[in-house]
Amino acid sequence: MNKRYKYIINRILWGFVVLWGVSLISFGILHLAPGDPARLLLPATATWEEINNLREILGLNKPLHIQYLVYIRGVIKGDLGTSLFYKKPNLDLIKERLPATLILSIAAILTAILISIPLGLIAGVKQGTFIDVLVMFFAILGQSMSIVWFAIFLVFVFSVKLRLLPSFGYGSFRTLILPTVALAFEQSALITRLTRTGMIDVLSEDYILAIRAKGIKESKVVTRYAFKNVLITVTTIIGLTFAGLMGGQLACETIFVWPGIGSLSISAISQRDFPLVQSIMLVVSAFFVLINLAVDILYTFLDPRLRYD
Amino acid sequence: MKRKSQLFTRLKKSKFFVIGFIISILLIILSIIAPFIVIHDPELPDLDNTLNPPEYFSKGWSGNILGADNLGRDILTRLLIGSRYSFIIAGTAVISAIFLGIIIGLYAGYYGGWIDNLFMRLADIQLSLPSLLLAIAIVAALGPSIPNLIIVLIVTKWPVIARLVRGNVLIIRETEFVSASRVLGASDTWIMFSQILPNILTVIMVVATQLVGHMILIEAVLSFLGLGVQPPIPSWGIMIADGRNYLILAPWIVMAPGIALMITVIAFNFLGDGLRDALDPKMKT
Repeated sequence: MNKRYKYIINRILWGFVVLWGVSLISFGILHLAPGDPARLLLPATATWEEINNLREILGLNKPLHIQYLVYIRGVIKGDLGTSLFYKKPNLDLIKERLPATLILSIAAILTAILISIPLGLIAGVKQGTFIDVLVMFFAILGQSMSIVWFAIFLVFVFSVKLRLLPSFGYGSFRTLILPTVALAFEQSALITRLTRTGMIDVLSEDYILAIRAKGIKESKVVTRYAFKNVLITVTTIIGLTFAGLMGGQLACETIFVWPGIGSLSISAISQRDFPLVQSIMLVVSAFFVLINLAVDILYTFLDPRLRYD
Repeated sequence: MKRKSQLFTRLKKSKFFVIGFIISILLIILSIIAPFIVIHDPELPDLDNTLNPPEYFSKGWSGNILGADNLGRDILTRLLIGSRYSFIIAGTAVISAIFLGIIIGLYAGYYGGWIDNLFMRLADIQLSLPSLLLAIAIVAALGPSIPNLIIVLIVTKWPVIARLVRGNVLIIRETEFVSASRVLGASDTWIMFSQILPNILTVIMVVATQLVGHMILIEAVLSFLGLGVQPPIPSWGIMIADGRNYLILAPWIVMAPGIALMITVIAFNFLGDGLRDALDPKMKT
C-alpha cells in the first residue's frame, strides 16, 4: 500500500513539473517571438507613448525572471490575463467555449471506444480471418486519412449531396453527429489496432493455454480471462486518445464552425492575440496533466504487476 | 551476407511492403520530376479556366485533367508541385528528428546518469503534452513559415526516436560483444556508433516510415489551419482549405488533394508495416 501512495504522490509531483514546464513555454511565447513584446501586444497604429506606457504597466522593463514570477502569481490567483482581440478576461473566454469542446471530445471518445474496442477484440480473437482483414483495412484507412479531408468529405456526402445533416452549427444533436464521426474515426483506427494487438498478445500467453487445457469453454476464455487483461491496455488507450484528439479537434472545430477552444485558439493565433494563446495553452495542458494523472492512478488499481518505478 | 539475402526474400514476400514500396517510390519520383513535366503554372491564376471540372483526358495532356480551382489553377499541377513540399518538409523533419533522436538516445542510454535523466525528463514533459499544443505555441511565437513548420515537426517527434534509441541502447549496452569491445580498449564513441547503432537501425527505419506518414498529415492539418505553409504555395493542406468554400460548385478541388494524401500516407504505412513484419514480426512499434 505504501508503495502505491508513494507512486501516486510521485505522479502528482511530476504533474506539477509538467505544468511548470508548460508555464515556461507559454510565458516564453511572447518573448521568443521576433519583435518587441509591447509592440506585439498593441495594434500596429500604436504610438511610441502607448508602447512605452504598456511596457510600464506590464512591467516589461523588469528582468525576465521577475516577469515570470509576476505571471505565475497572476495565474495562481486565477488571473490569466486579458485578450487583446476580444478585450475580455481570457479565463472568461475559455470558460465560455469549454463546454462545446468538452461535448465534442467526450462524444467522439465514447463513439470511438464503443466502436473500436469490440472491433479490436473480435479482430484479435479471429486473427487471420476475413473479419480481421476487414477490420485492419478499416484501421489502416483511418490512420492514413487526413481528418481535415475526411470531415469535409462527410460534409460533402451528408450535407451537400444527401442533405441529411447540417454542415455546421452548434446546439442540437444533429449538429453534433458529423463532427463526432469525423473526430472519432481517426481515433477509432488507433484504438482498434491497439486493442487487437493487446488481445492477440493476451491470447498467446501461457495461462490462456492452461485455461483452455482445463477444458473451459472458448467463449468464457475470451470474455472472462482475456478481456480483463485487455482492460489495462484499454485504459492506456483512453489516456492516449485524449491527447491524440487535439489535432483533430482543432480541425473539426474549424471545419464545422464549432464554438470551442480549438477554433478560439486558431483565431487567437492568426490575430496574434498572445495573452489568449498563452492562457489556452495553460488551461489545455493542465487538463491533459489531470487526465494523465487519472490514468496513472487508475493503472495502479488495475495492474497488480505494476512495480511503481 | 546470408542475413541480407534472407531479409530481401522476406521483404519480397510481404505484399504490404511491395505495394507500399512501389507506390512510395513512384510518388517520390513524380515529385522530383514534377517541375519538368507540368504544363500549367501551379501558382499563377488562369481566369479562363476558373472552376473547370475535371476534363480527364478529353483534351489530351494539356487540359485540366483533374479540373481547376477557383483561380483557374490546374489541380493536377498543384498536386504534383505540392507533393514536393510535402515530401521535402516531411523528409527533412524526419531525417533531422532521427538524427537528433539518435544522438540524444545514444548518449543518454550509454552514459546514463544526469544526461539520461535530463533528456528523458525533457522527453517525458514533452510527451505529456499533445504535440499540437506545442506546434501551436511555436507557430504563435515564430510565425507560420516552412522552416518553422519543420522545426515544429522536429520538436514534436524527437522524443519518440530518442526514447526508442535509448531503450535499445540500454539493452545492447549489457551484451557480451560490447563488454568485449570495452575490454579490448575501444573508445566509448566507437562503441556507440560502430557497434550499437547498426543494431538499432532496423527499428529506426520502421519508425521512420511511420513518422513520414504522420508528418505529412500534420503538415496538411497545420497548413489547412493557416499555421503551416502559406499560400500561394500549393501545399495539399492549403488546397483543401481553399477548396472548402467551393465544395458544392467544385468538389474536385478538395477531393483531389485529400485522395492524394490518403494514397501517400497509406503507401508509407504499408512500407513501414511490411518492413516491420519482414524484420521482426514481434517488434512492438
